Amino acid sequence: MTEDSVFIGLVSVIWIALVALYAFVPMFAMPGSAIVWGSGGAVFLALAVVIAIVERRPKKTHDPG
Amino acid sequence: MTNLSISQRLRTLSTGDRMLLKALVSCGLLTLALGVIFGLVTALIRTSYLGAEAETGYRVMTGHGVTIFFYWLYFAQMALLMALSATQTQGRARIGLSPAAWSGLVLMLLGFAASTAGTWMGSPLLYDGSPDLVGENTWQAGLFYTGYVLLASGLFLLAVSAIATVIAVKTGSGGRAWSTIGFAVTAWAGLVMVSSLATLNTFLPAAAWTFGWGHEPTNHSTGWHLLFHNLHYLPLMGTVIIWYALIQDLTGVGSIFGQRFSKGIFTLYLVFVPPTSLYHMFLEPDLSPILRGLGSLLSLFISVPTIAVFLVIVSSLEAQARTRGARGLFGWLWMLPWREPAMAAIGMAAVNLALGGIFAFVLIQEQLASLLSDTFFVPATFHFLTIGTVTLTLLAAFTWSMPALFDRPLWAPRLLRLLPYTLTVGLVMFGAAGMSAGLNGMPRRVLDVSYDGTAPQLWTAMSPVISLGAVIMALSLLLHVALLVGTALGSGRRQAPATPSSMILATTEGAAIRQTAWTAPLCVLVLVIGMYAATILAFALLRALPLAGAAGAAH
Repeated sequence: MTEDSVFIGLVSVIWIALVALYAFVPMFAMPGSAIVWGSGGAVFLALAVVIAIVERRPKKTHDPG
Repeated sequence: MTNLSISQRLRTLSTGDRMLLKALVSCGLLTLALGVIFGLVTALIRTSYLGAEAETGYRVMTGHGVTIFFYWLYFAQMALLMALSATQTQGRARIGLSPAAWSGLVLMLLGFAASTAGTWMGSPLLYDGSPDLVGENTWQAGLFYTGYVLLASGLFLLAVSAIATVIAVKTGSGGRAWSTIGFAVTAWAGLVMVSSLATLNTFLPAAAWTFGWGHEPTNHSTGWHLLFHNLHYLPLMGTVIIWYALIQDLTGVGSIFGQRFSKGIFTLYLVFVPPTSLYHMFLEPDLSPILRGLGSLLSLFISVPTIAVFLVIVSSLEAQARTRGARGLFGWLWMLPWREPAMAAIGMAAVNLALGGIFAFVLIQEQLASLLSDTFFVPATFHFLTIGTVTLTLLAAFTWSMPALFDRPLWAPRLLRLLPYTLTVGLVMFGAAGMSAGLNGMPRRVLDVSYDGTAPQLWTAMSPVISLGAVIMALSLLLHVALLVGTALGSGRRQAPATPSSMILATTEGAAIRQTAWTAPLCVLVLVIGMYAATILAFALLRALPLAGAAGAAH
């Protein structure tokens, strides 16, 4: 893995943690914010997973035979 | 990957991909010209130099906000997002999932047509499209909201295409790390997707209501605040990514801090987006005092990523220039390619960002927000950011990339070089006069501010300056658009190819890192002092006014 998937993964973790705060802690209750940032957290999580998969997959080489 | 510049790599695009970028650029220029004309007319009506029926005036004002803030900024950003992602590919530049990108463009165009039709046929809803203003004109408002829904869907598809493009680069390189620009483009496209979802979250319920498929949305303002926060951050993130890419193209200088550090800085943008959104809620009556206090604290972080990118770019430029023999505190500045119109535009964009940043900090403070958010202080400040910084940067990128994209030379490059300065002069007049009037209570979003002759004298005194500033700003922008359209149509004179300005400052990274570079930290110090001074001044002025704060909806 490279820093690309790590950084994007870090973003998704921070966003999802914040969403948990907005959704489940009464003092910070903001359901509207939880929906928007939650969908964003899902976008960055999906992106991090795709990037990590591409980074772990070995490079395809053309077989001349 | 071959060591070609972005502008050189754009020439290797296939005809189809090039057509897509040309279409996005053309839509961008068309919406900018329209939005600027609407803006100019709005300014002239407000300052009583033009007469208009109230409804027509508010339609023009709505047209200005919608066309510039939603369509110009996003057609242009998508053109540059796609261009930067396409030029990351190995070998020939190409756009991934181009059918998705074309579909995105078509949806954005349909969205623009729907939003415009809704604006001119129904109630003028202003750009935030408050359901409270819909009245009897429900299907026309539905058209207006559908425009935003189509825009959001189009943006999402274009962002998917940009991400597919850079993912293909990574796949082709066996999973190797992206370049800094490749990473930044991915982060930018990710935030475009989030903003698309925030747009759908805000306007889909409103659209459904107007077509009779649901109840009137009760939480429109919350959705709007969240979306609006994204719409602040997204163009600024695009701006600094374009600065990073263009400076590298124009001077050959990349970050001396290394690729990983620069990627970390771009990551900061995404990290700070959600927690800094609280300040948009300051005027919500049910926001708890804890969140209000936390929002005040967190709002201080909003400019951290932008300042960090500024530090990286300016310190890298200064260090490289010093390695090349630049002397004196600012001697290195003269080594930059100011003869390039794009460089002049970026330079003035940075100046305008500093001015806008200083006063934006006044605006987002919890105690001042309620007093200032419905005054002309708001548009006077944010024009430094939307026009002076973001638009100027997008035009810089168009100026730099259009000769390659259209395979035509620039038309009147000397005049193009001058326009960022005239634009800034107009902007400073508009901004300074508008902020003075705003600090004295001149309302925003009100077309007739004379109040039958009972308005404060300062408002009357500032109105001609606001108007003149708006005229200079608008003419500079319209001329810029005309010269770029002329470039696309082949009005520019072909000259012998000049020596490329690229690489004029590049030296070895090792030599540059040993140089001292104080300009950027000094600029940040001046910025912080400016923020404190502006805040103290704003508090002093407002305390001197005989008024009570009772604001309505937030900005």
